[in-house]
Amino acid sequence: MKKILSIRGMGQVLTVTAGLIVLCIVFGVLNPSFFSGRNVANLLRQIAPILLIGIGQSYVLITGNIDLSIGSVVGMSCMISATLMTKGMNPWMAVGISIICCLLIGIVNGVLIAQFKLPPFIATLGTMTITRGVAQIVNNNYNTDSIGEAAKGFRDFFYYGKTLGLYNTIWIAIILWAGFNFILSKTRTGRHIYAVGSNVEAAKLSGVSVVGTTVKVYLISAFCASIVGLIICATSGMGTMDAGNMYEMYAVAASVIGGVSTLGGQGILLGTIIGAAIWGVLQNGLQFAGAPVAIRNIVIGLIVVASVLLDIIVRTGKPIKKVR
Amino acid sequence: MKGKLLRVLLGVVLVAVMLAGCGTKGGETESKKAEETDETYKVYLITMDQMDQHWVNLDKGCQEAVKELGNVEYTWLAPDVKDDAKQIESINNAIAGGANAIILAANGPDAVTATLEEAIADGIKIIYVDSPANTEGEATFSTDNEAAGKKAGETLLEALKAKDVTSGDIGIINASAASTSTVLREEGFRSAFEGTDFVLLETQYSEGDAAKSKDIAANYITAGCVGIFGTNEGSSTGVGNAIQEVGDSEVLGVGFDKSDTLLQLVKDGYLVASMAQNPDVMGYEGLKAAVEVLQGKDLAGKVIDTGVSVITADNVDDFK
Repeated sequence: MKKILSIRGMGQVLTVTAGLIVLCIVFGVLNPSFFSGRNVANLLRQIAPILLIGIGQSYVLITGNIDLSIGSVVGMSCMISATLMTKGMNPWMAVGISIICCLLIGIVNGVLIAQFKLPPFIATLGTMTITRGVAQIVNNNYNTDSIGEAAKGFRDFFYYGKTLGLYNTIWIAIILWAGFNFILSKTRTGRHIYAVGSNVEAAKLSGVSVVGTTVKVYLISAFCASIVGLIICATSGMGTMDAGNMYEMYAVAASVIGGVSTLGGQGILLGTIIGAAIWGVLQNGLQFAGAPVAIRNIVIGLIVVASVLLDIIVRTGKPIKKVR
Repeated sequence: MKGKLLRVLLGVVLVAVMLAGCGTKGGETESKKAEETDETYKVYLITMDQMDQHWVNLDKGCQEAVKELGNVEYTWLAPDVKDDAKQIESINNAIAGGANAIILAANGPDAVTATLEEAIADGIKIIYVDSPANTEGEATFSTDNEAAGKKAGETLLEALKAKDVTSGDIGIINASAASTSTVLREEGFRSAFEGTDFVLLETQYSEGDAAKSKDIAANYITAGCVGIFGTNEGSSTGVGNAIQEVGDSEVLGVGFDKSDTLLQLVKDGYLVASMAQNPDVMGYEGLKAAVEVLQGKDLAGKVIDTGVSVITADNVDDFK
């Protein structure tokens, strides 16, 4: 037990896991169909996209920055892939082009922030509005037509299909999470990300490429957002210009609830899973409980505030363990 | 050298702004004297946002009329999201831009009152499309949303009766509680179920996001609903997709609006029906009415219901 607790960030993760379990029990009691097999499958699939954008935002938050463009990148990815598919392009080529366009946004973000020293809030605010505009222009300010039968394989791969009993969406989220968690916790890039977030001056003086690291995290964030855009395109079977609206906020909530600090340098991706799960469970469970939408907004807001408060209290209150 | 360049730039910007301001004022006094001549009329369309397909089609309708008439300088303004304050700004921008007439789809019935009264005092004519405000306008072209919602409810009721289902839960996915048109549709829908043994569940809101609506509809299906209603295009797409996913579901869905995807869902039988509005008619007739009014005609505030067509699997091909 002590070994688990000694991992940085684990304390909050365990706390919110307990919270998650309590929530599930409460919702299950209020409405037993919450625990039905179909709902659990749906719930996991509803959590997957939130987890993905949460991973991207967590990476960015850990470096002490923020990515407000996530929602718009999701929308752009959805619109580009759908538009190309309705024009007859092979779905997988459309997927590739979509992802590349989103990665470009990631590079722009990283360079603006690290190279040109724009405040991350401002830079990503700018790319957020520009990207949303691109999403609108791609199909001439129209939502797209149906992506048609030719895209069935695409739709099944990203959303409707199952592998070994679990929806593909869940597998995509798990596999990407495993990959990004490995990068963050076991590679040099990961250590650099934490270093930049903890103390950017010290990191620079230690030879860490701050620009390189920053571009990397924004690339990862854009990549995750592009995948979610593809998932949404597969879900709806068409491209909608307002896809992904507000998703950057959900991503922040998922990260923050899971213990990622908005001050940088703190947090593990395990927490992001729990954060995304809490978000998904709240959305799903409150509907089953028949709660009016106002209650849902208030509850979610309170939980986010409480999580950040907890993080700040822990950070300023606890003495930092001395490294021997 | 840098400082000089900056000063020159600032000077240019200042002059440009002054000219723009003067130009506008001049334009306004000119246009107020517009009469039945070869005048070009400045007409502004202000909708709730520029992304919802509904407004895009409404604008298209206006553009058709503009092309036909040939004497209209037409601009489409809208905020990026549905927001009362932002719409007020758009109206103010139209007034400053020298509008002779404003075609408005009001976000809410009362928020824009003060701004509209200012416009009317300035001599600007107001035509409503889709959603009127409480300030009197020259004419209104809209769907009677409450009646359309009731029609949707009755269609669902009939379909359920045809399957011998007379009781159960019905789910409703609305866009937003602040949007009058969808709220009215929901009210109409609920009224169709009064006195029946069906239970209408707490409404869920999806902001018209098709993916979110699909999740909500899937949850409704899991919770055992026998019917689901989507109040606008995005919500209905989600309902249809959720029913399609479950495949052999007993759940019946009814939606609103028309899109390529929705037509396909209705054709394949995943949606019983969709209430298709006619935003292009609203735009076309609205613009023509605006010009008529500017040429002196009095339309006496008449309200024209541009109607809904009930799209079912039988008549889908008529709408392609």
